[in-house]
Amino acid sequence: MIYLDYSATTPVSLEVLDVMNKTTKDFIGNANSLNALGLKSKDLMNSATKQIANLFSVLESELTYTSSSTESNNLALIGYALANYKKGKHLIVSKLEHPSIYAICDYLVTLGFEISYVNNDSDGLIDFEHLKKLMREDTILVSVCAVNSEVGVRQPLKMIRQIIKKINSNTVLHSDMTQAIGKTSISLHDVDMASISSHKIFGPKGIALFYKNSQITVKPLIYGSGKSNELKPGTPPLPLIVGFSKALRLATDDLEKKEKYIGLLNDRLCKKFATMDGILINKTKYSIPHILNISLMNVKPETFIRALDNDAVYISTNTACSSGELSSSVMAIYNDLKRATHTIRISLASITTSEEITKFIEIFEKNYHMLNTLLAKEEK
Amino acid sequence: MKKVIIIKYGELSTKSDNINFFLKTLKNNIDKKLSNIEHEIKYDYGRMLIYTDDFENSVDKIKEVFGIHEIVIGYLFKEKDIDFINEKALELAKEKDFSTFKVETKRSDKKYPIKSPEVSRIVGAYILKNLNGKKVDVHNPELIINVEIRLGEVLVYFNDGEKGLGGYPTSSMGKGLLMLSGGIDSPVAGYLAIKRGVKIEAIYFDSPPHTSQMALKKVKDLAKILTKYNGEIRLHVINFTKIQEEIIKNIPNYYLITIMRRMMYQISALVASNVNAHVIINGESIGQVASQTLKSMQVINEAIRMPVIRPVCTYDKLEIIDLAKKIGTYETSIEPYEDCCTIFVPDHPVIYPDLNLVYEYEKLVDFKTLMFEAIKSHQVILINENDDEKKYEDLL
Repeated sequence: MIYLDYSATTPVSLEVLDVMNKTTKDFIGNANSLNALGLKSKDLMNSATKQIANLFSVLESELTYTSSSTESNNLALIGYALANYKKGKHLIVSKLEHPSIYAICDYLVTLGFEISYVNNDSDGLIDFEHLKKLMREDTILVSVCAVNSEVGVRQPLKMIRQIIKKINSNTVLHSDMTQAIGKTSISLHDVDMASISSHKIFGPKGIALFYKNSQITVKPLIYGSGKSNELKPGTPPLPLIVGFSKALRLATDDLEKKEKYIGLLNDRLCKKFATMDGILINKTKYSIPHILNISLMNVKPETFIRALDNDAVYISTNTACSSGELSSSVMAIYNDLKRATHTIRISLASITTSEEITKFIEIFEKNYHMLNTLLAKEEK
Repeated sequence: MKKVIIIKYGELSTKSDNINFFLKTLKNNIDKKLSNIEHEIKYDYGRMLIYTDDFENSVDKIKEVFGIHEIVIGYLFKEKDIDFINEKALELAKEKDFSTFKVETKRSDKKYPIKSPEVSRIVGAYILKNLNGKKVDVHNPELIINVEIRLGEVLVYFNDGEKGLGGYPTSSMGKGLLMLSGGIDSPVAGYLAIKRGVKIEAIYFDSPPHTSQMALKKVKDLAKILTKYNGEIRLHVINFTKIQEEIIKNIPNYYLITIMRRMMYQISALVASNVNAHVIINGESIGQVASQTLKSMQVINEAIRMPVIRPVCTYDKLEIIDLAKKIGTYETSIEPYEDCCTIFVPDHPVIYPDLNLVYEYEKLVDFKTLMFEAIKSHQVILINENDDEKKYEDLL
C-alpha cells in the first residue's frame, strides 16, 4: 500500500496509540471529579495541556480542547460573532479556506452577519490592497487559513494581522492552522484565534484545539457543567488529550529537517509531472512541500483515483471535505474552470519513503497512460 | 546595525544618595532573569543598555522585572560618518508611523566634530527631504528620533518604548513574609509587595488530611508564578493540623477563625524573624470575610508586634481579580481545593470579637507548646522560576 493522502488524515503513530492505551487503562477517574482518581486524571491532563502551551508559548487557559478543527472554526467564527456583535456585524474570509469556514459563514449570514471574501494574487497570497479596501469600522473578524488545504499556500499571518490592526484595532484575526501545525513553523502569537487538529499529525481523530488569546471573549456554543473549560463543558477525553499532546510534541521535533526532506520528495514528483503531457502543477512559490496539487486535464480525477485504488495507492481529488466538487482554491488562484475541476492532491509526510515515491511514479505513469489511451480511443 | 535594549528607570531616578545600590540591584535582578540568555549589561544614572543576540526572549523576560519604567529598542552601529547616520536614521524612521517629528542628539563622544544641535539639524533635514508628507515639530512631535554619538558607536532610538512594570527593583527594600493561601487575594498581595521592592518568602498552613495534597500543590504553583517577579521563593509549610483540631475541640465555634488567625499570625511572626523578614504581608481586604472586619483585624493583629502589610486591603474584589488575571495567578487560584482557612468554617463567625474573651479562650489550650512544635517541624520548599517539574515523561 502507498498512502499519500496525509493531508486528509494520518494514521495514529504507534507511540501515540501506546500512551492512549495506557491512559485509558490507568487513568480511569473523571478529571472533573474531586476524588483522588479524578485529581490524578486532572493532574495528567494539566501536564498534557502545559506541554502544548509550552510548545506554542501560550497560556494553558488560552487553549480549549474541541472535537475537530471544524468545531474550533465554529467556536472561533460563531462564538466570536455572537459575543461581539455589538461591535459590528462584518466578517472577512479568504477564498482559500477549508469548506467548513464557508458553511459557517453561510450560517452567520442567516443570523444577520455580513461576509466579505478577500481576493488573492496569482501566487495565492491574500491581496493586501483588497483586504485594506474591505476593512470597515464594523469589521469584527478576519479569518485566513495558515496553509491552504488544497494547494498548500502559506499565508504571511503576521503581516496580515498588522494590516488589519492598523486599520481597525478592534478586528481580530482567526486562522485555521490545521494544515500548518506540525508541518511548518508557525506562531500562535501572529493571530488572535486559531484552530489546530490532531489527526493530521499522527494523533487520534476526535480531538482538536481552539486557541484564543486571553484578551478575547468568545461565546460558548454548547452549555453544560464541568469546571475545566467554559467553552467546552463535559468530561475531558483524557486519552485523546494525552495522545494529542504527545503527537504535537513529536510533530514539532526536527520540524525543519522534516520539511526539507519532504521538499526533496516534492521536487522529484514535480520534475516527473513536468515531463508528462496534460498535467498542470498547481503550486506557487508559497506552497509548502507537504501538499502537491496537480490538474489532469484529460482525465477525470475521480476515475484516476479509482484506478490508483486498484493498485493500492491512495490519494485525493481536492480535499476530503469537498470531494467531487470543483477545487475552489485552484479556481481562486488560476481562474481556470477546467483546471479547477480536474485536480488531484498528493500529500506527503516525513514517513513517506523514497522507495514509495519511486513506486508511486511507476504506478501513476502506468495508469495515466492507460486512461489516456483509453480516452483517446473513445474520442475516435 | 545591531539592536540593543534600553531600559529607562522610573521612580529610581529620584533616589540620590543610594541610587547606586538600586541600580546594582536592578542589574542583578536582570542578570538573574536572563541567566539562560547570553547578554551584557552596561548602565549609568540615566539608563541601562542590554546587549544580547536573543532579542525577543530577552524583552519578554525583562517585562517581568520591577524597577523599569520603559523598555525601548535601540539600534547601534559603529560607523560615525554623518552621511551614514543620515541613511540609518532614515531607514529606521521609514518603518514608523508618524506625521510630525524631531531629532534629538546627545554627544558623549566630545571629540566628534559636529556639535549636537547641528547633528539634529542635518539628520532632520535629511529625513524631511526623503520622506514625503512629514513635518518637523519641536514642541509636540509624534516621533522623536534620538541620536546618541557615543565612544565607538552611534545609538539611535525612538520614543516608542513599551511600559515596564514600574516599582522598585525586587529586594531593594528588604524581605517580607507572605501568608500565602490558595486564594485569589494573597498572591496579588505578594505581587504588589514585590513591586515595591520587597523580596518575599512565603508561608503556608497545611492541614492534612483535612486539606489535600492538591491544595499544597496549588500553593506551590502560585508561588511558582510569583517567582517570575520575585526570583526564587522559599515556601515555609507549617503543619497546622494539630493546632486546628485543638481549636475546633476546645474553642467556641464563633471564635474559631479569630483564634486560628491569631495563631497563624504568631507562627508567621516567629518564622519571619527567623528568616530576617521585617514585615508580614497578607491578602486581607477590609470587610471581605468575618476575620477581615476592622474590629477583627485589630483583635487578630494584637497577637503580634511585627508590622503587617495588607497591599489589597482597600481593593474591591473585582479589582483584585483583574490584577490576579493580569499577573497570571487567577486561573490557579480558582482551582477547587480547599485550604485550612476554608474548611471547618462556622456558620456565624464573630465579626466584633472581644479581646478579653479571646484571652480567656486562649487559656483553654496550651497553644505555646503546639506552636513551637509546628515551627520545629516546619518544612521549607525552594521554588525556582526555571525548574519545571517534569512529569509523566513516559506518557507525554
